[in-house]
Amino acid sequence: MSEHNVDVLVIGGGPGGYTAAIRASQLGLSVGLAERAELGGVCLNWGCIPTKSLLHTADVMREAMTASELGLEISKPKFNLKKVVKRSRDVAAQLSGGISHLMRKNKIIVFVGDAMFQDKNTVVVGDDTIIADNIIVATGARARNLPHIQADGDRVWDARSAMTPTFMPKELLIIGAGAIGVEFASFYNTLGAKVTLVEVMDQILPAEDSEIADLAKQSFIKQGMEVLTGTGVDEVKVTGKTLTALIGGKNRKFDAAILSVGVSGNIEDLGLEAIGVEVDRGFISVDEYQQTSVDGVYAIGDVAGVPCLAHKASHEGIIAVEGIVGEMPHPLNKERIPGCTYSHPQIASIGLSEVQAGERGEIKVGRFPLLANGKAVAVNDTEGLVKTIFDASTGALLGAHMIGPGVTEMIQGFAVAIGLETTEAELMETIFPHPTLSEAMHESVLSAFGRTINL
Amino acid sequence: MPKEIYLVKVGMSMTEGMVSEWFVQDGSQVKKGELVYALETEKVNLDVDADYSGTVKHLVEVGVTLEPGDVVGYIFETGEDIPDTLAGAPAAASAETKREAEATAPVPAVAAAPETVSASVAASDPVVSQDGHIKSSPAARRLAKELGVDYTRVAGSGPGGRIVEADVQAVSQSDAVVPAAPAEIATGPEPKASPLAKRLASERGIDIRSIQGTGPGGRIVQSDIENAAVTGVSTGAAAVSGPRAGERIPVKGMRKTIASRMHHSLQESAQLTMDMEVNMDDVVKMRTSLVEEWANEGVKPTYTDIVIKAVAKALRAHPMMNSQFLGSEIALMTEINVGMAVALPEGLIVPVVRNADQLPIKELARETSRLAIAAREGALGLDDYAGGTFTVTALGMYGVDSFTPIINEPQTGIMGVNRIFDGVEWNGDKPVKTKKMNLSLTWDHRAVDGAPAAEYLVEVRNLLQSPYRLLV
Repeated sequence: MSEHNVDVLVIGGGPGGYTAAIRASQLGLSVGLAERAELGGVCLNWGCIPTKSLLHTADVMREAMTASELGLEISKPKFNLKKVVKRSRDVAAQLSGGISHLMRKNKIIVFVGDAMFQDKNTVVVGDDTIIADNIIVATGARARNLPHIQADGDRVWDARSAMTPTFMPKELLIIGAGAIGVEFASFYNTLGAKVTLVEVMDQILPAEDSEIADLAKQSFIKQGMEVLTGTGVDEVKVTGKTLTALIGGKNRKFDAAILSVGVSGNIEDLGLEAIGVEVDRGFISVDEYQQTSVDGVYAIGDVAGVPCLAHKASHEGIIAVEGIVGEMPHPLNKERIPGCTYSHPQIASIGLSEVQAGERGEIKVGRFPLLANGKAVAVNDTEGLVKTIFDASTGALLGAHMIGPGVTEMIQGFAVAIGLETTEAELMETIFPHPTLSEAMHESVLSAFGRTINL
Repeated sequence: MPKEIYLVKVGMSMTEGMVSEWFVQDGSQVKKGELVYALETEKVNLDVDADYSGTVKHLVEVGVTLEPGDVVGYIFETGEDIPDTLAGAPAAASAETKREAEATAPVPAVAAAPETVSASVAASDPVVSQDGHIKSSPAARRLAKELGVDYTRVAGSGPGGRIVEADVQAVSQSDAVVPAAPAEIATGPEPKASPLAKRLASERGIDIRSIQGTGPGGRIVQSDIENAAVTGVSTGAAAVSGPRAGERIPVKGMRKTIASRMHHSLQESAQLTMDMEVNMDDVVKMRTSLVEEWANEGVKPTYTDIVIKAVAKALRAHPMMNSQFLGSEIALMTEINVGMAVALPEGLIVPVVRNADQLPIKELARETSRLAIAAREGALGLDDYAGGTFTVTALGMYGVDSFTPIINEPQTGIMGVNRIFDGVEWNGDKPVKTKKMNLSLTWDHRAVDGAPAAEYLVEVRNLLQSPYRLLV
């Protein structure tokens, strides 16, 4: 049993936790980090990163399948599922190793094991007792089950099982059409599964602007998926290798199902109740500087509430640490967090949807389809739309919503614009390079004010 | 070519002023260094001297409100043709029309400007630029640095008046340090603000310079504008309903400055006031003896002088009370310069006693008396009211026992001095008549919490209760 004293202890080594730890170290604090599994957390090991590897495989395959349109003669591509999964795991392992290196470089002591609060300044991890002035809880979240449907890792998959498949299902049911469900739908559909995507809400991607979500739905249907919105799955039964699901009063047979109905915060078995940390609907309650109801105890990332996004977690980690050292950081503005879905087509957005913005006042909406974008035509990928929403009276950019190739890499442009509070005037005066897909962003802004050139 | 006589800018806060008197009659001769006109602003009156010898022609009459940098007249050198009347006199042109005029004709006779700017202007200009952010592109600033051009004096031609590279280039090629167009001087440097914030401020008639930014690096963002109360109060509203107004007193000059500064102070900071009773027996005794002792030297220390000394001495031990809250940081001021509020018929003015903690009481009394006289005579110099780090204000002479002074931004504290009265101290069960006084300390809770503020007040009280400590 050894005792350690640090200025800051971070519980959880995901993108929120490790970022907080590094920032704390940069600010001259002594830092410990407790992690029970892999450094990098779900994002790096079981989320963002490995799924991007899988989706890249799917993208290349799709390109190969349509290569004849570009004058290439390639025989129909085939995949080796084992190798596809292995590459995804290798990528995760490589990056997780990188985090270990970053911890060493920043002199952060890593404690391996489950963490448990003894009091608000003391945490036990295995044989180690860590006494810290400030403790940042960054334990993340895990896939949620439904009361009547639980993932079993056999035929009913959670995200982890879904990214390490041992067979390719012919008929795949995906329950829940948020970003995770849609990405898996896109991956499996491209690799040849017949995908049925079921969403209980009225639109897929419920967090997105409905116009964009509708375009995504149309595209998925065109690619061969069955998309059912406003529909629940009432029952799932597994008999041998067959899964029977009761959907809309009908029994349907599948080879497997993916349960992607959101996440819940990892708030259990930490001793949070004992030290009096307030919890609300499965997430830790925090103030704008990530402080919990207990002085000196902070929470960041998924465990501190939605939206459950890695970049939100990292940013909150920095806010928490800078708050600890008294740097008076700027609280996170949740309306300025971009969100990305890496399906085909990609979806990216920031700010208010058209409906949300319209509820606040007069708006101007710009639209520009990629069909009218030269680069999109040249690269044979014209399915997409850039939509921008402005406050009609002030010209403030309230929201930007994009669907199509490359949009996940382009949304940062609008994120910078919103962050700097540009109005339509600065965006219109900015020169976008030609020929790029990003010109559609410019044209969308112009369109909101009746000034579009290429349409 | 005739040389312009400008309405000089004295101090950053000056936004308008007027020629209150022409010392040299229209068409008369002036020699370089002789006084040419008297400037009257919200804060100070200043006599302005000529930078050239020649014949003075007036462009504006006495009493016309102008913006600093506006041309008020010309000096014609010997041999130059002197017109009978000057064309294009602005008369009482409004600021708006002038700005428009300058926007359409940005390069009139400003080229020969640098020498005509009087010494007092030259002294105050760097202060203007120090404040930081003038709308300018990074490339323009870099070029300005390379070419040695003071970009703060360049008129911007980019979007929203932003200074762009071409502006700096043009100035450097014309080989003249062109002062910014008069409107630019008048408005001073524009603070760092998001485009949206600037647009909202302009639409809502909010002076963006009156707003403290809370965005990254102190940048003014949308929420800052939304949080700022609209400053433009309709003056016509009273006539529509409610009691009829009799005489209408225009809010301008000192009144206008006081109104906006006091209002802004209350809006921006988290200020509150606490009172504390002080046993003044020893101060009264000490002052009586000092007055006697220094009578033949003509020095008569007031109670306020002694409070200023105590306040200043205590500040040395409580540096947070001598700080400025700047949003993302708190600046601890190294000097202790105590402002003293002086009531004038036109309004309040706050000359500053520099290094008040280091001045012996006798010197301090001399200085406060000099400042008070200069203030009443309108003869305060620029240095006399700049650089205050704390303020003392007294209403005791009116019998006031407690009040809530308003902080003189960007300071953190202001001490209200009340009347001395016959109070009671208890000697066992016996009441003893004792000289008492309340101190009313207003402080900015953003910078200092209640407990440390109270500790500071206790220290001031203790110094006043053992006033010999003020003499050492």
